[in-house]
Amino acid sequence: MPTDSIQPRIREFILNQFPLARKRAIGDGDPLLGHGILDSLGILEVVAFVEREFEITVADEELLPESFESIRSIARFVDEKRGREPGARTEGG
Amino acid sequence: MDFLIHHMLRASAGRHPDKEALVHGDRRLTYGEVWNQVSSLAQGLRSAGLDRGDRIGIYVDATVEQALSIFAVARAGGVFVPINGVLFPEQVSHIARDCRMRALITSAPKLAAIAATLESMPSLEYLVVVGSEIPSGIHLPTHSFETLSTGPAPAEIFEPSIEKDLAAILYTSGSTGKPKGVMLSHAQVMAGSTIVSTYLGITQSERILAVLPFSFDAGLNQLMTAFQQGATIVLKPFVFAREIVTALHKERISGLAGVPTLWSLLAQPSSSLQKSTYPHLRYITNTGGAMPQDVLATLRRVLPTTKIFLMYGLTEAFRSTYLPPEELDRRPTSMGKAIPDTEILVLDENGRRCGPGEIGELVHRGPTVSMGYWGQPELTARVLRPNPFLPPELGDVEKVCYSGDLVQMDEDGFLYFIGRRDNMIKSSGFRISPTEVEEILFQSGNVQGAAVIGVPDAMLGQAVVAFVVLSEGTSLDPEALRVYCAEKMPQYMVPKSIEILDQLPKTSSGKVDYPALRRRQGI
Repeated sequence: MPTDSIQPRIREFILNQFPLARKRAIGDGDPLLGHGILDSLGILEVVAFVEREFEITVADEELLPESFESIRSIARFVDEKRGREPGARTEGG
Repeated sequence: MDFLIHHMLRASAGRHPDKEALVHGDRRLTYGEVWNQVSSLAQGLRSAGLDRGDRIGIYVDATVEQALSIFAVARAGGVFVPINGVLFPEQVSHIARDCRMRALITSAPKLAAIAATLESMPSLEYLVVVGSEIPSGIHLPTHSFETLSTGPAPAEIFEPSIEKDLAAILYTSGSTGKPKGVMLSHAQVMAGSTIVSTYLGITQSERILAVLPFSFDAGLNQLMTAFQQGATIVLKPFVFAREIVTALHKERISGLAGVPTLWSLLAQPSSSLQKSTYPHLRYITNTGGAMPQDVLATLRRVLPTTKIFLMYGLTEAFRSTYLPPEELDRRPTSMGKAIPDTEILVLDENGRRCGPGEIGELVHRGPTVSMGYWGQPELTARVLRPNPFLPPELGDVEKVCYSGDLVQMDEDGFLYFIGRRDNMIKSSGFRISPTEVEEILFQSGNVQGAAVIGVPDAMLGQAVVAFVVLSEGTSLDPEALRVYCAEKMPQYMVPKSIEILDQLPKTSSGKVDYPALRRRQGI
């Protein structure tokens, strides 16, 4: 799966899962934390999604605010994880 | 003599003025500093116009300013109304109108968020704002929190209040309608902190991490016990569970209170809680719902030297029961016994005491029974009733609290939660009224029928699920309705799923048949 397809899938998930994100027409660089869109439970849902969807494992110590600031930063985080984890699949699906 | 809540703070400041009292991020205040700032702010609020008994809203995030405001409003003779920072302008407006709030202490960003709604709060006469960037278009007089709280601290403030006076109003939901304000007197709040600090064994050496909001009875109780005992309270708003773990270490935390959802977060397999030890963590407490058994087992394994207290309380009676940690092995599913100086009765529908194993309503008597709901005498009379077991010669001198919670007592007097007598939902520690969510669904203009229930959820306790019947000629994606809800209510109230039905199941009397909807979900 090419790297640039990560971001749209994260965007689709967030806009579907968090209605407020859709309502506010959140863009890829807009903040998600501290604006009522992602709370601690929301973060868990996002983590479960990226683990499932991109076959990565996110450790607790990797859960940093800077990685979950925006759709773009989540995509960057996933991309870096996949680069580091040889076990991560390279095909989408 | 200490009989008003700020007297507890005054006494602790007198005993050890240089001891650390309040920590938030890089800010560390001693008891002397907290007391001085509370006194200055109380004086400032008086000069801004606060009269005895005025309801003063506190709508700021968990910060030093929030804690100072609570005690300053009390010291100035007012009634503090903590408003959860996650509430939306509509809910804030309801609270302000309901208690005829005279002033609001808020932060510049929060004020900006509610600026357009201020007109719907006609009783508001002035604002106290934390931060310098006052949004434009505010027509009310505003005072700077910083200016008010840094003036010279008065040695004395005239205090006509007594312990029977109203100290706080905590807004909470029931099974119907909008949130109601539970009234607590100074004596009731103080009894709560004395009782809880007794059975938790809290002393001045405690370092308490506060993650629960002060608008929630258990959160407020943590602040009160800390200041009463001269302990240190560390405020920790969080998004990531690991922030709590980090704070446990960094601040050498000895006590932590949480709701089941928080413990579920911390007990996740990936959680960093499991990667170290916590020798200084003396106790943790759970309230706001039953802790899932697998989560409890994980916590007991990860925190072998920490005492785990399972507690139960409802805002109307502040705090009610706890399970002593030494009973965890034998009765891990129990909610325990009455807290000190409190009696719990289990009564059947005819008001008779239930025997062991019989299901009945939990009825609470003791010094933390609240004064009822602000402005709702009929509702109050339903929940707070005369003690049925007093000899008639005593009259109706004592009110006891009918909780609406169904419980069972075992042979040894330990209680077990069975369920609610009504349709109230409890999700991630929040009480949610189904009708409040239904009303907002109706307001969308797209539905002619709506019913909301709670379904069991491993993380939330209960998840909100809605069923709607669309108005004729309307075709609508349920997701669009969820978007509408997300705009109108805080996240914890937004239905996790909305199912469209042709019609809602009805009882023979034509009301929505909620049990049928629950059965439909396999509950």
